[in-house]
Amino acid sequence: MENDQDLLLISIFTFFTITLWVTFELLKTVKTTTVAQTTQQIVIPLNPKIDVDTVNTINNKQVY
Amino acid sequence: MAYNYKTELGRYKRYYQSLEPIFNKTSSRTYTSVIFSFLAVSLFGWYAVRPTIQTILYLKREIADDTVTDKQMEDKISALIEAQAYYQQIEPLLPAVDQALPPNPEVVPLVIQLRNLASTSGVLLTSLQPNSTPLLGKTPDKNTNTPTSSLVSSKQQSYDLTVSVQGSFENIQSYINGIINMRRVTSITGMTISPIKGDQSSSPSAALSIDTLQLALRLKTYYLVE
Repeated sequence: MENDQDLLLISIFTFFTITLWVTFELLKTVKTTTVAQTTQQIVIPLNPKIDVDTVNTINNKQVY
Repeated sequence: MAYNYKTELGRYKRYYQSLEPIFNKTSSRTYTSVIFSFLAVSLFGWYAVRPTIQTILYLKREIADDTVTDKQMEDKISALIEAQAYYQQIEPLLPAVDQALPPNPEVVPLVIQLRNLASTSGVLLTSLQPNSTPLLGKTPDKNTNTPTSSLVSSKQQSYDLTVSVQGSFENIQSYINGIINMRRVTSITGMTISPIKGDQSSSPSAALSIDTLQLALRLKTYYLVE
């Protein structure tokens, strides 16, 4: 009888361990991005605005 | 030794008979089924359920990531097209930007400009001294540690000049305005104006009038290391 209880405890702990392990593996899969590092660098946003007024101001200054 | 099936059969029969009373107990049967159920669920959970759900979640994540990446790529392409239009608009003016913030220290062109400005403004340039300046624009460590350079980009470098001119108040004012309006980016960090004493009349400024002033300027100019 005691032998059966020990085996039951071992199987229950095994079950919970594997359940937790599977859960964390799945969480890691959900959280990890699938985009490659190079692609992440390529899609960094670019600000296309160029301050034309400043360039014009520089152009209007004098060269001696 | 020859295999005697009669003896072996009798031996195994005794084992089976001894296990029978154990399995006849209800509690043992229950325990055994529960234990094997847990073990079976664990085994199939690890080797069958986990890879399947993992693949499903990975593919869903990949679809979501690709959708976001596609949107970001489209935004970037639009931004590049817009930037190209701006670039074409300012392309003729780019040499002026290079003159304002050259890729090298370019001390000599700056000195020439300050000399020409002095003659244009009608002041007498008595001294012009650039401080230690790298010829090729390489970064000296002491410049990068200054508080001023820590505020700006690390590629932007600067060096100081000291200029002394003599002239009337209006001409000195014109000279300072000329420095402010000069295309080369130059800032005035220090300025001292003093009247010229009588004992200095033997200097080259002797031809100047009595209300001649002496201006000492400390300038800082910038360049952009590529």
